[in-house]
Amino acid sequence: MAQRKLSILAWQIFILVVLLSVWEWGYDTAKALLPRAFVPSILDPYFIAKPSMIWTSFLKLGCFADPAGFLACYGATPNNLWLATLVTIKNMLWGFLWGASLGVLIGLTLGRSAYLSKIFEPFIVAMNSIPRIALVPLIILMFGLGDLSKVVTASIVVFFVVFFNTFEGTRSVDRDQIAAARLLGASELTVLRTVVIPSALAWVFASLTPAVSFALIGVIVGEFIGAERGLGKLIIEAEARANAAEMMVSIIVMMIVGIILAFIVRRIQAYLLRWQPQFEQQH
Amino acid sequence: MTDASNDLTMAHTTAGSAARAPGAGGAADVAAPVRIRVSNLDKRFRTAGDGVVAVDNVSFDVRQGEFVALLGPSGCGKSTILNMVAGLLDATDGEMAIDADPVVTGKVNRKVGYVFQRDTVFPWRTVEGNIGYGLEIAGVPKEERRRKVERAIEVSGLAGFGSSFPRTLSGGMRQRVALMRTLILEPDILLMDEPFGALDTHTKLEMHKTLLEIWERERQTVLFVTHDLGEALTLSSRIILLSARPGRLKEDFEVPFPRPRDAVSLRETAEFGQLYSHIWHSLGEEFRRTKAE
Repeated sequence: MAQRKLSILAWQIFILVVLLSVWEWGYDTAKALLPRAFVPSILDPYFIAKPSMIWTSFLKLGCFADPAGFLACYGATPNNLWLATLVTIKNMLWGFLWGASLGVLIGLTLGRSAYLSKIFEPFIVAMNSIPRIALVPLIILMFGLGDLSKVVTASIVVFFVVFFNTFEGTRSVDRDQIAAARLLGASELTVLRTVVIPSALAWVFASLTPAVSFALIGVIVGEFIGAERGLGKLIIEAEARANAAEMMVSIIVMMIVGIILAFIVRRIQAYLLRWQPQFEQQH
Repeated sequence: MTDASNDLTMAHTTAGSAARAPGAGGAADVAAPVRIRVSNLDKRFRTAGDGVVAVDNVSFDVRQGEFVALLGPSGCGKSTILNMVAGLLDATDGEMAIDADPVVTGKVNRKVGYVFQRDTVFPWRTVEGNIGYGLEIAGVPKEERRRKVERAIEVSGLAGFGSSFPRTLSGGMRQRVALMRTLILEPDILLMDEPFGALDTHTKLEMHKTLLEIWERERQTVLFVTHDLGEALTLSSRIILLSARPGRLKEDFEVPFPRPRDAVSLRETAEFGQLYSHIWHSLGEEFRRTKAE
């Protein structure tokens, strides 16, 4: 078993090294050896930069390369890499929290009431048919270029994902388990707290991992379309200067943020759903 | 009177001596108060056609301390009757009362405990958490709760599994958890809907032993739905036999075996065999009617 793990890790490192090497030296090597027609232009550093160029840009954007020192650079650059990352994460988390909370709340309410869900069904279907990204210019018009419009965008994107899952989860709660709880003396509210919510939690969590990525997408798109700061703004600025390396820096930072947040959600999920067989060994 | 009822009289007389023996817990005490009263109960289900009559004019009483089995072929409406008594289902017509209080659908009576046929253990709670559920939501202090749960685990043979989640348990153990979850609230009326219906023969016998032990000590008033004749005879002090759909009262007789009963050796006695074959014929008619439809 340990050997198997080791060999998997070895393969992963090997693939990573090959990819990075091709990225770094592939284009130059191909240009030196092959006739011009065979040189793959997709590897052109003009489009995809190079790991070494990305590192240099990272040092520059991250205020490590400034001769005046880190703090001077940090203070003088309002949208430096660190501040941009912080702002994007902050907006994303608020959007995620608002969207997920409202999604769970309304999902539970409509899931518990066949009457209300019948009333609101056509409205929800209609709202859900709008591609969320199409709303972003409107949202920026309403809430301005600041952080609020990004929070709103992210929460709308997150809301629908979480809402639909919570709704389904609430409706699929075992009726006999509810009856059992009632017969053991549970009030409507106690049933909700001790049966419906724990039972629907598996469904809610199934939506939270993608919801984290969706929140990030919401914020970034908002920053693309109109923002004063954030990682999305950094990308748009780099694009204006046709600087692929700087774009890559922001993209890699987003990737890392996404990995960390998804990891945190999965840990919480594994703990809260430890009664389910698939999370048996993980908590 | 049919031949079957003559046989029944005979069964009574042969086993009657045992019923009157000291310590016998079979025969109903007519002086005991009526706990469950069902009178002229009807239930019709509306379906695509005219509607199905599930229960037709059923009346019976269950007295304090009786263990009554409601026996009948599948689909005869016996679970429907139980659910109506529990207030889980509306009656089309007729009246039900517990301690002379009319049963109101959707209103839970604290005196009544209910055990489901289906597995309704909460998978997100440990064995302890499940058994202690009723106490927890009633606000019983933690220390007292822990003591009671510990005892319930002991009594039910679940020792060592207190902190396990239900998915790691067998079907029989899960049903033990469900049983103790209800019994820990000390209901003096117990409604059971084929609680051991999904278990294999051996596990079922083990459950019978546990239930007999508990009941012979506590003497709750029990209404127990089953289609298993052996189970009804082993556990109950009285059997109400229902006809095939629509469910009507067919026969009502005492089970005179002395207590404490042993779930296994009881089945080997001659009295058990006689009563079994008598009811079997009566029940057999109903099964044939079910199939003929």
